[in-house]
Amino acid sequence: MATTHPALTSVILIFQNVRVTSEKFDSLSLEALYGLADKMGLDLPPGLERLFVIEEICDALAEDSEDRRAGRGEAVHVEEKKYFSRELDEIESETGQSAPESPVLETRYNETLIRGLVRDPSWAFAYWDISDADASILFGEESSTVLFLRVIELGGEDSRREYFDIPIAAEDYQWYINLPRPGVRFRIDLCSRPGESPSGRIRVLARSNDVESPRQALESGRPLSDRVIKLLELSGIEELDIEVVRDENPQRILPARSGQGDGE
Amino acid sequence: MQTGFLALVLNAHLPYVRRPDHPRYLEERWLFEALSETYLPLLRLFRRLDDEGIPFHLTLNISPTLAAMLGDKVLCDRYVDYLDSQLRLASAEEERLRGDPQFSRLARLYAELYRADREDFDLTYSRNILGAFDYFYKRGRIELITTGATHAFLPLFRDNAEAVAAQVETAIVAHRRAFAKHPAGFWLPQLGWFPGVADTLHAYNIQYTVVSTRGALLGDPTPRNGSFAPVQCPNGLTVFIRDSGAVKEVWSETEGYPADPVYRDFYRDIGFDLPLETLSPYTEVGPSRIFTGFKYWAVTGKTADKKVYDPAAAAERAAEHAALFLEARKAAATAAGAHMDRPPLMVCPYDAELFGHWWFEGPAWLEALFRKAAADDFLSFVTLDEYHRAYPVNQVSMPEFSSWGDGGYAEVWLDGSNDWIYRHVFKAAERMSELAERFPDETGLRERILNQCSREVLLAMCSDWALLMRAGRAGNFARRQVEDSISNFGRIYDMLCSNTVGTEWLTRLEKRNNIFPAMNYRIFRKKR
Repeated sequence: MATTHPALTSVILIFQNVRVTSEKFDSLSLEALYGLADKMGLDLPPGLERLFVIEEICDALAEDSEDRRAGRGEAVHVEEKKYFSRELDEIESETGQSAPESPVLETRYNETLIRGLVRDPSWAFAYWDISDADASILFGEESSTVLFLRVIELGGEDSRREYFDIPIAAEDYQWYINLPRPGVRFRIDLCSRPGESPSGRIRVLARSNDVESPRQALESGRPLSDRVIKLLELSGIEELDIEVVRDENPQRILPARSGQGDGE
Repeated sequence: MQTGFLALVLNAHLPYVRRPDHPRYLEERWLFEALSETYLPLLRLFRRLDDEGIPFHLTLNISPTLAAMLGDKVLCDRYVDYLDSQLRLASAEEERLRGDPQFSRLARLYAELYRADREDFDLTYSRNILGAFDYFYKRGRIELITTGATHAFLPLFRDNAEAVAAQVETAIVAHRRAFAKHPAGFWLPQLGWFPGVADTLHAYNIQYTVVSTRGALLGDPTPRNGSFAPVQCPNGLTVFIRDSGAVKEVWSETEGYPADPVYRDFYRDIGFDLPLETLSPYTEVGPSRIFTGFKYWAVTGKTADKKVYDPAAAAERAAEHAALFLEARKAAATAAGAHMDRPPLMVCPYDAELFGHWWFEGPAWLEALFRKAAADDFLSFVTLDEYHRAYPVNQVSMPEFSSWGDGGYAEVWLDGSNDWIYRHVFKAAERMSELAERFPDETGLRERILNQCSREVLLAMCSDWALLMRAGRAGNFARRQVEDSISNFGRIYDMLCSNTVGTEWLTRLEKRNNIFPAMNYRIFRKKR
């Protein structure tokens, strides 16, 4: 029987990267919010009201985003200079001479699907759609149907695969998913089940492509010599937050410090 | 005694911003500014060094979108108009500043810059900038490589092999048309690597590429020479590794050389200092302020009270920074070389437009670098091709998914500001493959339609649009580019499905988005 990984359920985080809004955390329990805060390195006193925990997390995410943008060595900042004739959007609004508006794109293609994209070792992005025909069956007959995403780790035997679920609303169409750990392959199923019966039959509406999160630790298939470790250090491995630890086992490489951008 | 190699790799790229149907199109100024401040000054630098017999081995990527614009008559004509306008502004500035020796000297500096650009573009190169770079390529002075057709961030397309192959194949065809040679090297847009791209590049006979330090060091197995030697994928593709030390000194906005107080300030521009009525005859954007390229102030520091720019002091500093850069690389080479069985290599990839456009003294720094290296046999500049020939065998390792963007992965091109793109672009790419499968042997009008369809898909894949949306700079413009391409694609797709063709509309679109004249829509067919 499949099991839910306990560490996963405590850190499910869903947010839109640019504007982190507190609504994005509404589906998380207070315990999950504390777990997330802990993972982010926030030292919150116990017993805080839910609202304050969410505020702290939102502030930290916004600050982290600012720090990363202001960080050194950001190639894209330099790249942006190519486009520095002026804020073209501002000019358009000043002059009222904007280029002709593009036709509005259809927001969906009326097909039931889900697709996953890996963004970095910690986050993946999923978007989906449910065709009108499927939606009418789902919500027509059973108005209490609930939808959720099931994030399933791949690689092991089917029966022992770990997964976690993310509840979604009928009007949702995309989420960012916090991944349990780097270097794993997983799939995202778009699922439904009867709302009045949590143990009711689960229907898989669509399955995503396989998504693989990148490693964050050195792939040391065999022990690394001091010579190699020296060259890795000279290559800037410490600035990339990939640690070389020499204590108990001098040739062992440990995972990167989590959650920090390198801005290489 | 030689102790190491330096490989300078410049990425010259701009997205496709040609709009012949607009009398004035602001985004075309991106091209004109880069031509004036980077590409033409680089060519003058090459000429000077070549005349004096000073080697300047570097690898230059000219992206297919940039190459298409550099070879376009409409844009070339408009560039000459732009230069004439800049020269008129320079004259007006010289007149306005007459009597003030400090500032009139600076106005003259810009007059000389645009005069040299005008003369080189029109007379020396007969408006053929690609030919000018090709001249140094064919003489073996520099190496030219290519990149994704529209600079797509390939890791996000890893599940659409046809779209990735279309980016690579279209780029190679464009490169061969422009330079009559198959490119040996491929610049990964944004250094965006994922393991599967090795197979695509190898299938198109690409010999080597460059990845970020992070991606390489996280490779499987760990590279035993760190970033000081390339690795080889199991299929034989050579992967050069970005040198993180060399990058920081040049690239960092806050700690890099360009932030030095004596260098010219990029942001303070007469476009925001002078009365609008003085500027409007030259800027062509009516009652709006834009960057004119005329900047009289030095970086100075984090203050609004800027010092007047001193070109002589800045040139001196550029030479000092070149010496410092070489010293730092020598130190790194000495340290690394002690642990290696071959001279260490340091690969320094930068955006070409950094030099001159943003860092005004960048070309002078490059020139000083080549001159100093020529006078010192400690370090040698090499092209990627030269190194690859000298050291064809390298450790086998497969780099990890990575990029040179913030965070080292895909967060620049996939966040709340731009993630909406992918639903549409993936659908367009899938439908394009479907069309190519359904209509594999079309000729005449239907072939034209399918080719235009392919162009629109490729244009929508451009990574610059996502970058601009995230930066909040020209975000509306970037959004429109994607929406235009996707809706153009959708219209053609519907035409083909309903077997009705609007010839007049198609012809107009072909004239506007005339990139990749050798387009063959069959590149989107499923790979078997």
